[in-house]
Amino acid sequence: MAQTPSFSREAMKQYKWFLSRYPTRRAALLPTLRLAEQQFGELGVAEMRYVADLMKISPAAVFGVVTFYTHYRRAGTGKFHLQVCSTLSCALRGSEDVVTRISERLGISPGETSECGLFSLSKVECLGSCDTAPMLQCNDDYHEGLTLEDVDQLIEQLRSEASQGVNG
Amino acid sequence: MARGDTPMTRWLLNGQEVENPTGMTIMEAAREHGVDIPDFCYHPGLSIAGNCRICMVESNRSPKPIIACSERIADGLEIKTDSDVAVEARNSVMEFQLINHPLDCPVCDKSGECILQDHSYTHGPDRSRFVEDKNIRHTKELGPTISIWGNRCIVCTRCVRFCDEISGTGELCVVERGDRAVVDVFPGIPIDNAMAGNTVDICPVGALISEDFKFEARVWNMDRRDSVCGGCARGCNIEVETLDGYVKRLLPRENLEVNDWWMCDHGRYGWRHLYSENRLTTARTANQELEDDSATSTLADFVSRAKKVAFLIDPFLTCEELSLIHGLSSSIPDSIVGGWLPPKGTAEQFPSGFTISSAKHPNRRGAEKIFGSKVFGKDGKDLLKALDSRKVSTLIAFCGGPAEEGPGSSWSEAIRKARKRIVFSVMDGDWLKGASLVVPATAPLEKEGTWINEDGRLQRARSCWKPGDEPFCPELVRLQQVQMACEIRTRCLSAAGVFRELAENIKAFSQHSHSDLGDGGLPLSRRRARVDSKGGTR
Repeated sequence: MAQTPSFSREAMKQYKWFLSRYPTRRAALLPTLRLAEQQFGELGVAEMRYVADLMKISPAAVFGVVTFYTHYRRAGTGKFHLQVCSTLSCALRGSEDVVTRISERLGISPGETSECGLFSLSKVECLGSCDTAPMLQCNDDYHEGLTLEDVDQLIEQLRSEASQGVNG
Repeated sequence: MARGDTPMTRWLLNGQEVENPTGMTIMEAAREHGVDIPDFCYHPGLSIAGNCRICMVESNRSPKPIIACSERIADGLEIKTDSDVAVEARNSVMEFQLINHPLDCPVCDKSGECILQDHSYTHGPDRSRFVEDKNIRHTKELGPTISIWGNRCIVCTRCVRFCDEISGTGELCVVERGDRAVVDVFPGIPIDNAMAGNTVDICPVGALISEDFKFEARVWNMDRRDSVCGGCARGCNIEVETLDGYVKRLLPRENLEVNDWWMCDHGRYGWRHLYSENRLTTARTANQELEDDSATSTLADFVSRAKKVAFLIDPFLTCEELSLIHGLSSSIPDSIVGGWLPPKGTAEQFPSGFTISSAKHPNRRGAEKIFGSKVFGKDGKDLLKALDSRKVSTLIAFCGGPAEEGPGSSWSEAIRKARKRIVFSVMDGDWLKGASLVVPATAPLEKEGTWINEDGRLQRARSCWKPGDEPFCPELVRLQQVQMACEIRTRCLSAAGVFRELAENIKAFSQHSHSDLGDGGLPLSRRRARVDSKGGTR
């Protein structure tokens, strides 16, 4: 059985600081989830349960929040999470073509993870970079003003990073 | 401007000047004046969410339509519920609600009592302009009794708010967003609280489905009767729905004095024993089965010739049945009466104030009013002693509970010591062996009469049987026939008639009659206030 997740001393200190910055405990859920994500690598059932118990809110409420947002790293996400912005500006500038290109290159549809476990593809809501549409976010990095060639190049680059063991 | 002490607000509803208590929402206020504003997410027992938008109305204070469920009335506010703006807003919302809805009413259990269906009929378009593919959302079990048919969900969040606010268990949430949003539970934590069934009732569409009722009946084919749940001493007001004389489901009925809009799952699903194969439906003597009529005459024969008679009563009997037993016992010299109680269950209290009583029977209070407050205490013990020392020759016992072992081992052993024993029982069981006469008894949902709940509220229970369709003679009639055979009664009365006699004989009931009790019952100690000619109450 996997070890029960638990915040480190540092993370707990951070969490207490979040609580002091919000009028209600529940309001600190978003940053706490981000903290949990950084601490545990992803948000799976055990991690969400831990946050719920820690914050004394129902696990279902945490589950609802995690699934509402597209930008939390959920359990089963590949090493590289390609999140293609699909909201208005990017959609007008061809985000659908970007998604199609990635799907073709990786053989996965949005919401899926490649068999090798390297790539996950999602269509996400606005990432606030409308001036450089179309764009995608790979893990913590923005890749902006994309052409289809850029997409191919990015995938190659990520593959070689993975084979060299460089942390994406 | 005040009605009593309540400050009032004057406002305009569809061009008419009206007045309501200050602070009311537009929807509640309009409904007081008979103007119905449609709703999905609004429920009087839950917090206001304002997410479905179907209740939009035109206001003079806003450039755009506003939602009537959350906006409050104000002096000088002008609301139009049937203007072009309001009608168009409603129609558009309806069109959006139906975009991804599967329109599978012909196979949907909610069909016929579905708010979406009703509003679609009144406010919706007669055809869809949506040519794209409808999206698919999950259909799965959320708990042992409830499943979600996600495609039908309109994400009103009534069920989610119920679990947060009323049951306080918080099992449900809305997952995903936009058109993918749907109700779900946290993985591995099913919805299994004791009030869960209510989420199905308050679902305005057929998204939450009761596994117990799924595909059981079309709602328009069922007969409905207002009754009271006999599962515990709370006495939740319920509707009993039957198809071809068989109970199909129980629903809670609004009564703010007792159960608000809710009932617990123990009561809701606690009727299956009615149709159990161990249900007793025919009378029998120690060696043969009896026709219903001859059972009554045999019973009358026993009673009229009996000596050293004792009556063992249960807390499931109605006040009317108890009154008839009281009549019989007082006509037999030296007869004794005691009562038995089923074992205590667990009590539960929910954050909303809704309670489940630990007393798993409906009418202890009524029996104590009629036979005295010691009937289940000292009188019961005395009767047990009398049985043990074989001082009882004929025992007439009532066992109206759902338990197959009857009133429990200590009682059934004692009962065997009576030379002649006549037992009214709902369920058949080994403990009935050797009884001189076994008579089928009505279970709580089959009784016509009144019960007094743990708060002392007198309420009317009604039988799920249609008059003339009774599978056997109910105690209310059988006991009267016995009284007639014993010549202490001249004619057989309805439950209301028997209650009238009870009100004449026992002071505690003297203020009441069946018709006064109405649908919601009354505290035994209080009479319904009568409205005098000036419109005030006295």
